[in-house]
Amino acid sequence: MRNSILKSGLAMLAVAGLASPALAGSDTKVALVPGGPHPYFAAWEQAGKDAMKDFSLAAGDYRVPQKWELSQQSQLLESLLTQGYNAFLIFPGDAVGTNAVVQEIVDNKGIAIATAGCLKDPTPALFCMGTDTGNSAYLGTKELIKAMGGKGRIAHFTGFLVDPNTQLRIDAVKKAADETNGAVTVVQVIADIDAPQPAEEKINAYLAAHAADVDGIVTTAWVPAVTAANSLRKLGDKRIKMVGIDHDEVVIKAIKDGFVNGTMLQNPYGQGYLGSYVLNKLRGGCKLKDDAPWKSNALTKKFVDSGTVFVDASQADNYVDAMRAITKTILANFEKDYMTCS
Amino acid sequence: MTTAASDSATTPEPGAAEVPRPSVTLQVLLSNEFGLAALIAVAVVIFATSLPGFTSPFSLFTLSRQIGIDTMIGLAMMAVIVTGGLDLSVGAIGACAAMFFGFGLEQLGLPLPVAIVFALLLGAGLGAINGITVVRSGVHSFIITLASMSIFFGVMIYLTQAKGFNGLPPGVAAFGRMKLVGPVSVLLVTTLAVCAGLLVLYRFTALGRQMLSAGANARAAELSGIEVGRTLIFCHALTGALAALAGLMLTARTGAAVPSMAGHLGQDWLLPAFLAPVLGGTLLTGGRVSVIGTLLGATFVTVITSGLLLMRVSEFWVQAFLGLMLLAAVLIDKARHTLLRRRGMI
Repeated sequence: MRNSILKSGLAMLAVAGLASPALAGSDTKVALVPGGPHPYFAAWEQAGKDAMKDFSLAAGDYRVPQKWELSQQSQLLESLLTQGYNAFLIFPGDAVGTNAVVQEIVDNKGIAIATAGCLKDPTPALFCMGTDTGNSAYLGTKELIKAMGGKGRIAHFTGFLVDPNTQLRIDAVKKAADETNGAVTVVQVIADIDAPQPAEEKINAYLAAHAADVDGIVTTAWVPAVTAANSLRKLGDKRIKMVGIDHDEVVIKAIKDGFVNGTMLQNPYGQGYLGSYVLNKLRGGCKLKDDAPWKSNALTKKFVDSGTVFVDASQADNYVDAMRAITKTILANFEKDYMTCS
Repeated sequence: MTTAASDSATTPEPGAAEVPRPSVTLQVLLSNEFGLAALIAVAVVIFATSLPGFTSPFSLFTLSRQIGIDTMIGLAMMAVIVTGGLDLSVGAIGACAAMFFGFGLEQLGLPLPVAIVFALLLGAGLGAINGITVVRSGVHSFIITLASMSIFFGVMIYLTQAKGFNGLPPGVAAFGRMKLVGPVSVLLVTTLAVCAGLLVLYRFTALGRQMLSAGANARAAELSGIEVGRTLIFCHALTGALAALAGLMLTARTGAAVPSMAGHLGQDWLLPAFLAPVLGGTLLTGGRVSVIGTLLGATFVTVITSGLLLMRVSEFWVQAFLGLMLLAAVLIDKARHTLLRRRGMI
């Protein structure tokens, strides 16, 4: 539903000429490759299909490594390159380790954008488009602190420690808490739980033992957000405030029912759609501007924020509109702001 | 009964039923290694004729590189399977050694050869810790290495804060991209050199034979004067060193030392670590190894995986296809043996 609304809006933009007819549409074969299976990336499949149609791409295929392994992703990317794909949107299996296979893509006349997660500079990827993870975690924690009345104890549930974004999120949550001058403290960080089994085990065990000791929960990874929302519903506890991440139905429903205060939305569909558009433009002869308004983060100096927004109960029914607006804005201005096209 | 074509095996027990010794040609034909080589040849012919990209220089290069790395991981596990044990911490050791290598080069400014030696020594040391704990405690290596996997990896993640080292000398990445003899990756050549060394160890040295004897029958080996405990520790240390070498090879491939190179807790290495030696004929019960079989086992798995990906078989089906192919390989091998036995050829 969300994707279909987004799709029709963006297709109208494309038809209206904001996304002008593809310069190299006939031979741009885009592969959208996440680091492994994860619900966050499900929107990339439709994004690739829509981009293929709207921008006349030769392909816009979503290909998922069978497991969340750096070697599996590298093997898949090498195979896709052999199959003739020449443009890649890649969520790096590792911020440093994926650079090598991206270099091989470039050496074989392909191009790549790091998407949803960044590669560490120096990198052969053209740029990084994704959520500013540290900023998202910081803003989410600020919203949580507001909901807690500016004081209390926070538990932070987050993703895998081998993902450098996890440390950025941990630091950002701590930073937001430190700004309260001791009124808010982070009493527990549970990481390595962005998978159902460890998330269920650790979050439920923690809340069973310490629910009375925390006043707020912030989650900065998809699965912990879903698990924590479910746990609070089971506990029937609306005293504990929570801010989650992403748009899983469980989290959105928990927001509507008052068990979760809000969620920090990301923009996976927009990342896939916009990234495919940009890759096609670049293959058609456009160049990236050095003096474009690139943002920077801990990994790269060429970062484009694909948008993040806090959604609470008042927006839970129409949260798609917020992301659609962001995607439209980026699409409408990307060529002007970031590229030089002859 | 031993299979004569295996690289090294213990001798039959005295009094075992006498079986007429087949000719050398028949021994080769009946070996695991020959069966695997035949399957690889069939797979290569099918993929090469039906998939245009399969024989492209880039494809052959990535194929040879993957075979080199997966074989090295398999050899690391093989070196401890020979004792009848196993090492679940190979991936964690490989990642620790690679990260230490990166730290040595980037932070300590060590010369490349020194960093390599230190990383290999660290791997051997971590392996030796496993071995000492197994020998002293008498607990099965499954339990010990399950624990050490978490300990090694956890300490490494704590010390590095999960941050990789990507400021390595350009020569490291260049080595990973280097080709020898056409599209053949230098990483495969490295692995072949290690295979040769292990063949010599198991076939021609007293230490190698002691390892096989200790694995086949620890009590008998002890009675014959072999220091079984020390031998087992050496096997674990060898496993650690080979895992470290695999970690360094992956570092060369990625051009950086990254903590996730072997996945969470190093678990990504477990499948290739077991698949290659077991397919190749190394007995899980110990006492028999096949270095060539491990090389062929890794080659078979890599060729099949690469071919299936090029056929655009859904990534989620690759694992299932791989399992089916492996099952078929085992059944065909068994059928071949049965047929030959019925005809009185074995």
